[in-house]
Amino acid sequence: MTVVSPLGYRFPGGTYTIAHWENWLLTDCTTAGPLPDDLAHPVALFHVPILGAGTSITTLFEVCGAEGPGSVGLDGYDWEYMRPLRVGVEYRMEGSIVRWEQLVDERGHPYDSMSFSIEMFDAEGLAARITNTWRFRRRKPEDSTGATS
Amino acid sequence: MKVGDQLPEFAVPSVDPARMKTMAAVLRDPYRVHWDREATREMGLEGRVINQGPLNLSYIVNMLHSFSGPTSVRRLTVSFGRPVFDTDSVVAGGEISAIEGDRATCAVWLKRGDEIVVSGTAVIDISHLH
Repeated sequence: MTVVSPLGYRFPGGTYTIAHWENWLLTDCTTAGPLPDDLAHPVALFHVPILGAGTSITTLFEVCGAEGPGSVGLDGYDWEYMRPLRVGVEYRMEGSIVRWEQLVDERGHPYDSMSFSIEMFDAEGLAARITNTWRFRRRKPEDSTGATS
Repeated sequence: MKVGDQLPEFAVPSVDPARMKTMAAVLRDPYRVHWDREATREMGLEGRVINQGPLNLSYIVNMLHSFSGPTSVRRLTVSFGRPVFDTDSVVAGGEISAIEGDRATCAVWLKRGDEIVVSGTAVIDISHLH
């Protein structure tokens, strides 16, 4: 399957405020107890930038041509925190798809490697920055055993 | 505190598929492999669901929090090598690789037995630990 390169695809942008309930559930999923002082768990930096930038995992899968179970893999994250994330703070987000490469894995299977970057701002300025890299395998799902989103 | 010091480990004795379902809802993650055993049967994985990458990373974050506190994480740069499945037992660990002023850089990892499934580096604020 050949997908039109989404390199340069800009997310609509927008704002996001982490709710108490979602941070509580998120933190519980990590097996940790609630954090003090309205601190958000640092792994909120996965979904908050995506949703705050006005996109979604569903949209990213569509734009990049995900083909079904096992077709999407996770390669890496680079997440920077200028200060801790907080519940109840409104963050503004902007970002885009910054890299798209057609590659072949060690077993000879083709895949597209995609990176997207999003910056998060609060009233003080840049609060966090993420770059996530996902792979979109171009082969039959039954061949796949890779890590996921 | 010095280069080479090991960070205290954070263990998850059995990765819980119920938590993956909650996490999928929080993340608005439509990828079936995290909550639908039929999806992973289609992949030949015997119906074991696959833990979300952010949850694998969260165990490393919790390990860092135990060491340096809940406001200490400044940067996480990680690669995901292998999937983690429900009921897997995993342990997060780390080692200080550099100290510069109020920042420490740590090699971090998540292991399943002897197998490294996530690896990378973390930068943490250690100003309150001096």
